[in-house]
Amino acid sequence: MVAEPLLALREVGHSFGGLAVLRSVTFDVPTGEIVGLIGPNGSGKTTLFNIVSGYIRPMMGTVSYRGTPLVRESIQQRGRAGLVRTFQTPQVFEQMTVLENVMVGCTKLTRTTMLQDLLRTPAARGQMREIRARAEAACERFQLGALRDLPAASLTAGQRRILEIARAVVGEPHLLLLDEPSSGLNVNEIESLRDWIVRLNEEGMTILLVSHDMGLMTVAPTVHTLYFGEIIASGDMAAIQRDARVREVYLGV
Amino acid sequence: MKPSLLWLAVGLVVWAVLPLVVPRNVADLLVFTGIYTIAGLGIGLLLGHCGIVNLAQATFYGIGAYASAYCTVMMGLPSLVGFVVGAVIAMVLAYVIGRPILRLTGYFLALATLALGAIASALFFEWDWLTGGTLGIGGIPKLELFGFALDRPSRYYFLVWIVAFACMATARNLVDSRTGLMLRAMRDSSTAAAALSIDLQSLRTRIFVVCALFGAIAGSLFAHHVSFVSTQSFTVDRSINFLLIPVIGGATSIPGIVAGALFITFLPEFLSKLGDIHQILFGLALVGIVVLLPDGLMGALGRLRLRLMQRGGHGG
Amino acid sequence: MTFSLVLQAIFAGVTNGIVYALVGMGLSAIFKGSRVINAMQGEFAVIGAMTTVLLLSNAGWPYAAAIAAGALTGALLGAFIEVAFVRHMARKNASEDSFLLLTIGLALTLSASILYFVGRDGHLLPPLGGEGVLLVLDAVIQFHALWLIAIGIAATLLLRAFYHRTTLGLSMMAASIDADGAATTGIDVGRMRTYTFVLGGLLGALGGILVTPLVAVDYTLGLNLTLKGFAAAVLGGLTNPLGAAVGGITLGLVESLAIIGISSSYKDVVAFSVLIVIMILMPQGILGRAGRRGG
Repeated sequence: MVAEPLLALREVGHSFGGLAVLRSVTFDVPTGEIVGLIGPNGSGKTTLFNIVSGYIRPMMGTVSYRGTPLVRESIQQRGRAGLVRTFQTPQVFEQMTVLENVMVGCTKLTRTTMLQDLLRTPAARGQMREIRARAEAACERFQLGALRDLPAASLTAGQRRILEIARAVVGEPHLLLLDEPSSGLNVNEIESLRDWIVRLNEEGMTILLVSHDMGLMTVAPTVHTLYFGEIIASGDMAAIQRDARVREVYLGV
Repeated sequence: MKPSLLWLAVGLVVWAVLPLVVPRNVADLLVFTGIYTIAGLGIGLLLGHCGIVNLAQATFYGIGAYASAYCTVMMGLPSLVGFVVGAVIAMVLAYVIGRPILRLTGYFLALATLALGAIASALFFEWDWLTGGTLGIGGIPKLELFGFALDRPSRYYFLVWIVAFACMATARNLVDSRTGLMLRAMRDSSTAAAALSIDLQSLRTRIFVVCALFGAIAGSLFAHHVSFVSTQSFTVDRSINFLLIPVIGGATSIPGIVAGALFITFLPEFLSKLGDIHQILFGLALVGIVVLLPDGLMGALGRLRLRLMQRGGHGG
Repeated sequence: MTFSLVLQAIFAGVTNGIVYALVGMGLSAIFKGSRVINAMQGEFAVIGAMTTVLLLSNAGWPYAAAIAAGALTGALLGAFIEVAFVRHMARKNASEDSFLLLTIGLALTLSASILYFVGRDGHLLPPLGGEGVLLVLDAVIQFHALWLIAIGIAATLLLRAFYHRTTLGLSMMAASIDADGAATTGIDVGRMRTYTFVLGGLLGALGGILVTPLVAVDYTLGLNLTLKGFAAAVLGGLTNPLGAAVGGITLGLVESLAIIGISSSYKDVVAFSVLIVIMILMPQGILGRAGRRGG
C-alpha cells in the first residue's frame, strides 16, 4: 500500500487579471522525498509556492497536506502544521542578531500569553530559556556559531540563506518549501546549500525545491518541469534534460 | 560593588530625596513626568516595536481620568474602583476598536487613530452628563496609602513613580520575552514573521490594548493629582504630546521615554513667561526631531557614544 | 421627517461637501505628487481663511483682494513646506512614517500658532452674494452656498483641465507616476513636487476661505478639515485627485443626512466614523482603482 503523499496538488489553476498563470497542475510530494520544480521565468513557480504556503487562494484545484485539503488555512496555520517556506531573497530580521533570528523561529513551538510575558512568570522565563537553548543548538548545527551575536544585516548572501533555513528548520517543520534558494549565492555557497539540503532530507525532512539552477536540481530524484503554468515533463534531471519537449522549450531545439 | 550597581544605588537615593529638596512646583512637575512616562511607554511600544503611530492615547487617558473622577466623585466609590473601571473600559474599547483598525497599516492606521482620538474628544464634550463637558468634574480626592494621605506633590510623587517603575518593568519584561522577539520580528519583516507563524494581527491588537491600559492608568493618576478634569486635557493635541515622548527620547529605549516625558513636562515651564507658546514649540520639536534626529535623543546619544568610543580606541 | 428637512440636509450636505472636496483634492494632489500624506492640509484652509479675515478687517483690504491674498498665502505656505522640509527628507529617503510625523508636527505648530497669535475666537467672513437666501420648498440655501458650490465645481473642472491639458499639469502627473522616466524627458521632478504642494496649499486655502462665511474659522478647524478632507480623498480614491470631488460631496451628504434625527453636534463624529469605516472596507474608494492598500 502506497503511503499518502505529504503534499498533493490536484488540477491547481490560477490567473491574474485574465492571464492564466497556472493551468491544471497535478503532482505529489511523497513524505521524506525531495521534489524539484524547474521552469523558466514566468512559468508560475512562484505563484505555485504562494498558493501552497497560503499567500494566495487558488481559483481552481486543491492542495492537500497530509490528506486534508487546505482551503482557508492562513499562512500561520500552515506553518504551525509544519508547512514552512523560505523566500527568494532571504528575509532575515535585519536589526536582530543571528541568534535572535533563530530564536524567532522557535517562537511557534511554545505558547505564552502576553500576560505571562508582561509579568515574567516562571513559565515565561522557562520558555525563553528553552527558546534560547534550541536556537543556540541550531546555530552550532548550522555553523553559525561565530556569527551568533552579529546583526543579521551584516551577513553575506550565503550566510543569510543558511540563517533563513536554520530559522525555518528550528521550528521542526515536516515540509520545507525552498524558493530559489541559490539565488544570489556563489558557487561555493551553492555547494554548501546543496549539502544542507541532502543532510536535512537524510534526517527525514520532506523538501519541495524550486530553482532555475539545473546543477542544484540534481539533488532531487523527481523533478517536474513547469512551462506556462503546466507540467510538461517529470522525472530525474537526466530524464528531464533528454526530454524533447523540455529541450524545445529551453533550448529551442 | 559593580559600577552599574553603584550607579543604580546612587540613582535610587537621588530619586528618593529629590521631591523633598526641590521647590513644590518642581515636585509637581516631577509627578507629571511620572504620569506622562506611563502614558508614553505604551506609545513607545507601538512606535518602536510595531512601527505604529498611535494618535488616540488621549482617549484612553481620558477614560482613565473620567472613570476615576466619576467613580469617586459621583458615586462615592473607593479610588481603586476608579482605576479598575478605567482600565477595563480602556482595554475593552481598545480591543473592540483595535481589531478592525489594526488591519490597516502605515498612514491609514495613523489617521484611523487620529480620527478615533477626534471622535473621543468630541464625545467627551458632548456627553456632559458623564464627563461634565467643559465644566468638568471637580473635587476628585487625593489618594491615601495605608492611611498616609498623599496630599502633597512630594508625597504623591512616590506612588506615581512606583507605578511608573512597575510599568517600565513590565514593558522591559515584554521586550525581553518571547512576545518581544515576535514584535521585533514583525517590525523588521512582517512577511518573514508571518512565514514563521507569528499572528501579526493578534499581536498588534494585544499591544494596542496594553498601550490603552497604560494610558488609562496614567489618566487615573492624573485625575487624582489635579483633582479636576475637563475636556481640554483630552484633545488630539494631548495625543500628539504623548506621541512626542518616544519620538524625542527614542522609542525603543525606556530611559528615552523618561527623557521624553521630562522634555514635555519641563519645557512649558521654562517657557511659561512667554505665555502659551509651548504647543508651538512641541510642534517644532516634533518637526525638528523627525527631520534631524530620526531615532530621538537616545539614538543620537548612542551614536555619539559609539563615535567617542571609536575615537578613544584609536587615540588611546 | 419632512421632505423640506431632507432637502435642507441635502443643501447643507452638498455645500459642506464641496469644502471637503477642495481640501481633499489638495490632499490627494499632494499625495499623488509626492507620496506624502499631508496631515496639515486643514491648516492651509485655516491659514488662508485667517489671512483673508485679517486683511479684510484689520488692514481694510477690498474683499476680492483679501481672498486672492488668502489663497496665495496657502500656495506660498505649501511651497515653503516643500522646500524647507519635504525636499530635505526626500533626499534622505525618509520613510512614510517620518513624513507623516513631519506633517503632524507642522499641523500642531500651525494650529498652536493660530491660537497664540489670533486667540480662541472664531472669525467669520462676509458671505458672497450678500446675506440673502434662496427658499426652495421650505428649505433654505444661502446665496453664498450657491456661490461656493459654483466655485467648487469650477475649481474641479479647472483642475481636471490643468492635469490633462496644460504642459505643467501633464508634467506633474508624469513626475508622480514615474519620477525617473519623467526626469529623462527633462522634467524637473523636484520642482514638480514643489508645485504639487503649491497646488495643495492653494486648494486647501480656497476651501477654507469659502467655508468661513458659513462656519467661523478658529484654531481647531484645521484638524477637522484635515480628517474630512482625507475622508473625501479616500472615498474618491487617493490616487485620483478629482475623485475627491465626488468623495467630498458624498461625505457631506452622509454627514448631513445622518444627523437629521440627532443633534447636529454629532456631525463630526459621523464624519470621522465614516472615515474609519471606508478605510477598512473600501480603501480604494468608490472611484479609485484598487491600488496599494493604505500604508
